[in-house]
Amino acid sequence: MADLRIKDLVVEYASGQESVRPINELSLNVPAGSLAILLGPSGCGKTTLLSCLGGILKPTAGRIEFGDIDVTELDASALSAYRRNTVGIVFQAFNLVPSLTALENVMVPLRAAKVPTKRARERAEELLARVGLSHRMSYRPGDLSGGQQQRVAVARAIALDPPLLIADEPTAHLDYIQVEEVLTLIRELASGERVVVVATHDTRMLPLADNVVELVPHLDADEHEPETVILAAGETLFEQGTMGDSIYVVTEGEIEMFRELATGGEGMLKVAGPGDYFGEMGPLFALPRSATARARTDAVVIGYTVQGFRELLGTLGSRDLIEHKALHREG
Amino acid sequence: MLIAALRDLQWRKRRFAIAIVGTGLVFAMTLVLTGLANGFRVEATRTVDSLGLDAFLVKSGATGPFLGSAAFPPTMLQLPGVSASVPLVYGSATMPDRDSARSVNVFGAPERGPGIPALADGHPPSATDEVVVSNTMGKSIGDTVEIGSRPLRIVGLVDDSTALAGQPNIFLTTAGAQKLLFSGQSLITSVGLQGRPATAPDGFRIVDRNGAIDDLLRALSGARQAMTLMAGLLWLVAASIVGSMIYMSAMERTRDFAVFKAVGVPTRSILAGLAMQAVIVAVLAAVLGGVLSVMLGPLFPMRVDIPPIAFLLLPVVAVTIGVLASVAGLRRAVTVDPARAFGGP
Repeated sequence: MADLRIKDLVVEYASGQESVRPINELSLNVPAGSLAILLGPSGCGKTTLLSCLGGILKPTAGRIEFGDIDVTELDASALSAYRRNTVGIVFQAFNLVPSLTALENVMVPLRAAKVPTKRARERAEELLARVGLSHRMSYRPGDLSGGQQQRVAVARAIALDPPLLIADEPTAHLDYIQVEEVLTLIRELASGERVVVVATHDTRMLPLADNVVELVPHLDADEHEPETVILAAGETLFEQGTMGDSIYVVTEGEIEMFRELATGGEGMLKVAGPGDYFGEMGPLFALPRSATARARTDAVVIGYTVQGFRELLGTLGSRDLIEHKALHREG
Repeated sequence: MLIAALRDLQWRKRRFAIAIVGTGLVFAMTLVLTGLANGFRVEATRTVDSLGLDAFLVKSGATGPFLGSAAFPPTMLQLPGVSASVPLVYGSATMPDRDSARSVNVFGAPERGPGIPALADGHPPSATDEVVVSNTMGKSIGDTVEIGSRPLRIVGLVDDSTALAGQPNIFLTTAGAQKLLFSGQSLITSVGLQGRPATAPDGFRIVDRNGAIDDLLRALSGARQAMTLMAGLLWLVAASIVGSMIYMSAMERTRDFAVFKAVGVPTRSILAGLAMQAVIVAVLAAVLGGVLSVMLGPLFPMRVDIPPIAFLLLPVVAVTIGVLASVAGLRRAVTVDPARAFGGP
C-alpha cells in the first residue's frame, strides 16, 4: 500500500525581483485508496503542489514520499521514469494533442513506456470504452465536447495504471452535465491502492473527498472591537504569506512594509506614518499578506476588522479602499 | 513519438506542403545552377574531343590554343611521337540574328585530317566560303549565313556543338578561317597534334586536352564562381525554409511538448520526431526539386547538364540541411518546461 506523505514542504521561487513562497512548510498524509482535494483560491499554490507531486517541479525544501519513492531525491531521468510509471496527470485544459485522435492520445504514455503498438492500441481501446468513449476513438479533440476531452485525458492519465493520479482543476472548463461525468469517473478511480489528488476551487467536489486540504486556511470573520497594538522599533506586526483579518491604522511612529527579494534581501515598498492605513488587501480578499509589516520606530497602530474599518471609512466606499485613498478622519 | 510527428505533418499539411514546394523550387534552382556550371565544362569537353586531337602546340607565351592563343605563321614541324599535325585557327566572330548579333566560335582546320568534327549531315568544307555549323543554329545545308560580313554557304551540320555558354561552333577550312579572322593573312593559332610529343620546339609549348578545355572555359570562370556562390546561397535559403518551418512548428507545439514531458515521454523521443519532420520535408523537397530541375533545364538558353552524382547527393545534402536547420526547433523543444502543461488554455 503506497501512501502519499508530504513533510515540511516549501516551494519558493522568484517573481520578478521578489521572492514568492506559495507553499510554506506544508505537511500532509494521504493514505492509499483515498481521494484528497486541495482546496483554495487561485494563486494559493494548488498547481505548484501538484507539480511537485508529479515530479515536474523540485521543491525548495521538505520531502515528498510516495510509497518507497522519495520524489524529492530523484534525478532528471528518474523523475522522467517516475512521471511515466507512477503518476498520471489530468490537466486543467485537457491538454490533448490536437493532431492525434482520442485513441492515439491515450496511446502516448503507453508508447513512451515502450508498450508494443498492438498492445498499446488494445489497452487504449479498453480505457476509452471504460470512460464511455468507445464510439469516439477516431475523433480528434477538436471534434469532442469538453467533457469527452476530459474523459480522454483521464483515460490517458490512467493508461499505465499509475498508483498516483493527480488532477488540476478537472472541472474548470466543463458545464454541469460534463462535471457530473468527470466527478463520477474521478471518484471511481480513487479505489484499490490508487491515491487521487485533485486541486480545485470547485466546492461541488467536496462530497467526493476522503480528505480535504485547504491550502489557504479559512479565516472566520471574527468581529471584534478595534485593538491597539504597541510595537517597539524593529518589531514585526505581520509577515508576508500569513493570513490576517485586521486592517491597521498608524496612530504614532512609522511602520515599514517590505517584500522578500529573490536575491535574499528585502525590497522596501512604503513607510506608513500617523494617519496612514495598511494591510487592507489580505483581509478584504481573503488573501495571504503580500508584504511584511515591521515597526521602523516605536509605534502604535490600531487594528480593525474589515467591517470595523468600513464603518471608520464612513462615506468612502470599497473602491476608495482598494485604491488606497487617504483616510479623512475628523478630530 | 514518431506517430505524433507524422500526425502533426498531416495536421499542418498545407503549411508543410508550402514548405516542401518552396524548398523544392530552391533545390531545383540549385540543381539547375549546378547543371549550368557543369554544362560549360561539358560543352568545352565535347568541342575539344570532337576535334580528334591529342594535344596542341602553341606559342610559349600563349595560355592555350583557343581563348589564350597567340597567332603565328604556319610552321612545318617534325616532332618525335607525333603521327599527324594540322594548322588550326580559332577565333570569335558575330553574325546577325534577327535584330541583334550572335557570337559564334570559329574553328579553322584542313578539309582532310583531324580538326574537323564528325558531321551529322553534309560534307566538310573544302572552299573558303564553305562552312559547317552546329545544328543548334537552326540552319540547314544550302543556307547562306553572313558571318563577320562574309557570306558563307553551309555544307554540313555538326550535332549540338557549342562552347562558351551555348555559343554555336562553326568550322571552316584553315584558309577560310584565316580570311574571316585575319583578313587572309597566313596565321594560325595552334598546331593540332595526334600522338604524344616528348618535347616542344623552342618558342612553343604543348597543351594537352585538359589544358585546351580549361582554355576554352577561361572566359567563364567568373560566371562559374558566381553560380557556385549562388548555389551555396540557395542551400542556405533551403535550410532557412526548412529550419523556420520546424522552428514555428516547435513554437506552436510547446504545450504538446510540455504534456509529452509531463507524461514521461523522453526528450530524445520528442527531438527524434521533430528531426524526422525536417528530414521528411527535406527529402520530399529534394525529390520535387529533382523532378522540377529536369523539367526546367530545357527552358534555359544554355546547356544545363546536371551530373547524376548531383541527384544522388541532393537527398543526402537535403537530410543534412534538414537536421541542421531544425537545430533551433530542437533547442526549443529541449528547453520546454513540463510545468507549462499545467494551467489554463
